[in-house]
Amino acid sequence: MYQFKPVSERILRMRNRIRDRVLIYDSERMRILTDSTMRNEHVIPAIRRPLFFRDLCEQMTILIDDDEIIVGNKGPHLFSSVSYPEWSGTDWVIEAVDKGEWTMRDDGLYHNPDTDDIRYCITPEDYEYMKSVQDYWLFRKNGTMIDAWQPECFEELRDLDISNYKLHGQSIFGLPAGHLIAGYAKIINTGYKALYEQAQSWIDEHKNRLFGEDMNKYIFYKAAAITCEGAMTLVRRYGEKCSELAAACTDEKRKAELEKMAEALLWLSENPARNFREAVQGIMMYQVMIQIYDRTPSPSIGRFDQYTWPFLKKDLEEGTITMEEAQELVDAFFLKLNCFYSGAPILIKDTIGVGNTYQNVTISGMDADGNDATNPVSFMVFETIGRLKLHDPTVIFRTSPNTPKEIWDCAVATSQLVGGLPLYYNDEIVIPALLKEGYELKDARNYGCIGCQEIVGCGTDYPAPNGLYPPHATIWWGSIMDMAINNGINPLNGVQSSLHTGYLYEMNSIEEVREAVRKMGQHIMDMYITVQNYAENLAMFFAPESVLSLSIEGCMENGKDCTQGGAKYNSFGGTATGLATVADSLTTIKYMCFDEKLCTTKELYDAVMANWEGYEKLRQMILDRVPHFGNNDPYADMEFKWCCDTYYEICKTLSTSRCSLYKAGLYGSSDHVNQGKQTWGTPDGRKFPEPLADAASPAQGRDKNGPLAVFCSSACYDQTNFLGGIALNMRMHPSVLSNDSGRDKLISATQGYFDNGGMEIQYNVVDSDTLRHAQENPEEYRDLVVRIAGYSAYFVELGRDLQNDIISRNEYKL
Amino acid sequence: MVYDIQPFSVQDGPGIRTTVFLKGCPLRCPWCHSPESQEFFPQLSWISMRCVGTKICESSCIKACPKNAVELGETSIDSRSGESIQLVHVKRDLCDNCGECTKECYPHALFICGTSYTVEEIMKKVRPDRSFFARSGGGVTISGGEALSQIEFTLALLKQLKAEEFNTALDTTGFAAWKTVEMTLPYTDLYLYDIKHMDSERHKQTVGVPNEPILDNARNIAAAGGKLQIRIPVIPLFNDDMENLKRTAEFCAELGSAVTSVQLLPYHNLGVSKHLRISDTPVAEATPPSEAKMEEIKELFEGFGLPAMIH
Repeated sequence: MYQFKPVSERILRMRNRIRDRVLIYDSERMRILTDSTMRNEHVIPAIRRPLFFRDLCEQMTILIDDDEIIVGNKGPHLFSSVSYPEWSGTDWVIEAVDKGEWTMRDDGLYHNPDTDDIRYCITPEDYEYMKSVQDYWLFRKNGTMIDAWQPECFEELRDLDISNYKLHGQSIFGLPAGHLIAGYAKIINTGYKALYEQAQSWIDEHKNRLFGEDMNKYIFYKAAAITCEGAMTLVRRYGEKCSELAAACTDEKRKAELEKMAEALLWLSENPARNFREAVQGIMMYQVMIQIYDRTPSPSIGRFDQYTWPFLKKDLEEGTITMEEAQELVDAFFLKLNCFYSGAPILIKDTIGVGNTYQNVTISGMDADGNDATNPVSFMVFETIGRLKLHDPTVIFRTSPNTPKEIWDCAVATSQLVGGLPLYYNDEIVIPALLKEGYELKDARNYGCIGCQEIVGCGTDYPAPNGLYPPHATIWWGSIMDMAINNGINPLNGVQSSLHTGYLYEMNSIEEVREAVRKMGQHIMDMYITVQNYAENLAMFFAPESVLSLSIEGCMENGKDCTQGGAKYNSFGGTATGLATVADSLTTIKYMCFDEKLCTTKELYDAVMANWEGYEKLRQMILDRVPHFGNNDPYADMEFKWCCDTYYEICKTLSTSRCSLYKAGLYGSSDHVNQGKQTWGTPDGRKFPEPLADAASPAQGRDKNGPLAVFCSSACYDQTNFLGGIALNMRMHPSVLSNDSGRDKLISATQGYFDNGGMEIQYNVVDSDTLRHAQENPEEYRDLVVRIAGYSAYFVELGRDLQNDIISRNEYKL
Repeated sequence: MVYDIQPFSVQDGPGIRTTVFLKGCPLRCPWCHSPESQEFFPQLSWISMRCVGTKICESSCIKACPKNAVELGETSIDSRSGESIQLVHVKRDLCDNCGECTKECYPHALFICGTSYTVEEIMKKVRPDRSFFARSGGGVTISGGEALSQIEFTLALLKQLKAEEFNTALDTTGFAAWKTVEMTLPYTDLYLYDIKHMDSERHKQTVGVPNEPILDNARNIAAAGGKLQIRIPVIPLFNDDMENLKRTAEFCAELGSAVTSVQLLPYHNLGVSKHLRISDTPVAEATPPSEAKMEEIKELFEGFGLPAMIH
């Protein structure tokens, strides 16, 4: 079995500080932004935003904690939750204080109730300040402007309540940028001074001669130059702070370390990294910039082991670092990422989890030439999340037939310790999938994963639908199923859609039912993407991303911002979570009404509309007799394949003004639970408000023939169609992995699934008894990590219905 | 007569395997973890946890029984809804295992254990898993009950599996005529072979049959070039004294290179609750052996140069 290494004392201390953190809502960024915006009120956003960024870099507090070796903060505290009033980020905090939900304690701060799953506080001064500028931002924030006018279809979409666009919801324009992998390799190998010079030299060359398209480019390069000035300032200030602390430090060891940190940062402020420490610190500094520039664009790190190994290799050869020192830097880097969690109101927490920052890290896989790319840093990443029991960031383990057994062993040992991590990815499916959509071979081989698990190019791709509404881009397919058999009326609320499909009892064959589902799906997707395209257009004007555009390939070359299509690859996308519920519903109709004639379409229709009340015997018969997806039964699997194919075909018809590649996905945070609460009963016997099936997995408890049958069923559709990513969740009883032979068998099973066309799998290794015990005794299980679908979390921090959903999934013994 | 087909079974031989459990056994081990595998005929089985209560199913099973053998039983709390539900109870003396009630029981709380399969029906179930077997060095295990008691079917299945180049294992008590065992030799890659006690009298007292045929067959298999994975259930107060275990280890060592490994299986009490599925009479329960004890036994076997593992 793989043996994990010991952890240094200060790393453990920092880890526990993060576990026990109290988030401090903080107004520093808000103050600097408000001042800067007032000064530049009438400057266009493409310039105003970089100007603010430069102000922020000059003025923000520089904090270096005694336990830190990798530095960089979003605010003045280690656990700052930063305010983004331009997006209405913290209005809910002010509201909570105003309503008396947060109360003043002895420390002079307002705190949220202890019963909440995460602890927050705010100083009275910051609360007062935030309140004082609320009115200023009310009419200036992007959301207000965008909500003021929308294309016609928004109203229908909103009233139907089958997507995140809903009445009394947040603004449809909730997020800038979205998820992506920035060009970290470029940043640490180029340096800010060279980037500044590149922008400035274009400006100098075109002085007094800005004709035609030049004006757009001029604005872009001007923004880039200002941004680089800010970046150089910020990194230099961190260096200066380290020098200052070193001078005052009495501990010789720490003093030397601070001097080393100062030297690295002062160098990095203008230049490319020279060694491993600078490479890791350089990635972190850029990560901080992305996150203070704008609200939660959730930049994923991508292939951390590939960016940094060349530096470590050189250092080791020169004898300037030990493996232990390198491991500590990696530990510190991951802990730092965990410091960036900002908290969220309850709706968001229920859907995307507590403590999740979506800064995914991708490791292993193959290099540009197709050779195995596993290196010592790949192992270090597993060491970090395994030993420190970190549920975040998500780690993606890329595998190919050349991936060495040693790292597989290490990955499985990690899965045993940290529920759901890593995600196992199959290069043999993902790379052909990217090639199919026009990615060059070297870029396809250099993919990474973002968000839940969407597949993108590393530093070459702008895959985010601008202005994507949180939590993620999806429409509710369970409701579409219901509407398709109910003449376009959502049985949940009685709202009629503009598309009339007829009633189930008027349909005479399964083909007619499928056609109704297809039409309804297309209709809803059309409206949904129309709204998204509208938001995308607005983002190009209101929210260009000059920090990201410095690094994403294509932008600096073309003089075009990434939000406007400057990147080498452009795409957007979303997900259909719980298609197994739709597929099982179709199978039920086919089996019960048309093939076996065990009930009439009218009876089944009435049962669904009654949410199965009074039809329990019929429901039991369906659960027993009807074949379900996940049992390697072609009768049921063909409906799932039909759903996947149909969804993919619909996605191929969608485009925005920036791109025409819609990446279809079968993933979904924990949205299947949230959607279940807003999806009426479905023909498969699922009752409102039970969860839908999660992501691409079979419906909870309907798979009865073991994991190999799930694998075989899951290989029934072409997985290369789903660049948005696929989440197949599997819960394993810990006894499976109790010895080497069991672990080897799990590896073989995973590889067998990949041989058959599987793209991804994730394992929770925990038994139901432990989960039930943890529900009752949360204090004993603070470090128990489980994966929902798109993220992992501490089990005890999940809502009760999410916890129950995990328990309800089949657990496999061997 | 098959009572279960278990895919992704990793305890029954090397690699990922599908195990086919045949029903019926000449032995009567009190600790048997699959009591439903002992009789050769189909039996009505009852799992209370699956019952959704007579209110929901409108007492379908009670109405369906032609012998009036199903009656109202205890009340229980449904683990899904948390509501109180009315369970049923099977009067074993009246039940003739006709299975009429099971046709009405959709949640399979009542079900018939024991189904007839053709070789081809089984092959259809194992073929899709071929790539998983290949990856892990696994295959198909025929287990029981006692598979050798249904030699005609077992042999036909083994031949077909070999014809399609599946790795095969036969999980057996070894209690059969040598000429029966001999027939399986060309088609069996590995015997998972139980040895329960070295003293024949004690063996007969406890499980109902003497051990001589079992030990002889093991020697013969080894002599004929067959491979054996010896499985020893460690049962407190029956075979866990070091003297008996030492003799067992000596016996295994004598079999020489035919023994690929010795699997030490600590007694567990899962069989107790499974027994209640087919009977009202509870069976005796013992305390599982401690980890330290198991380690001690493992060391004993290793002392004889045998590759031993626990579980």
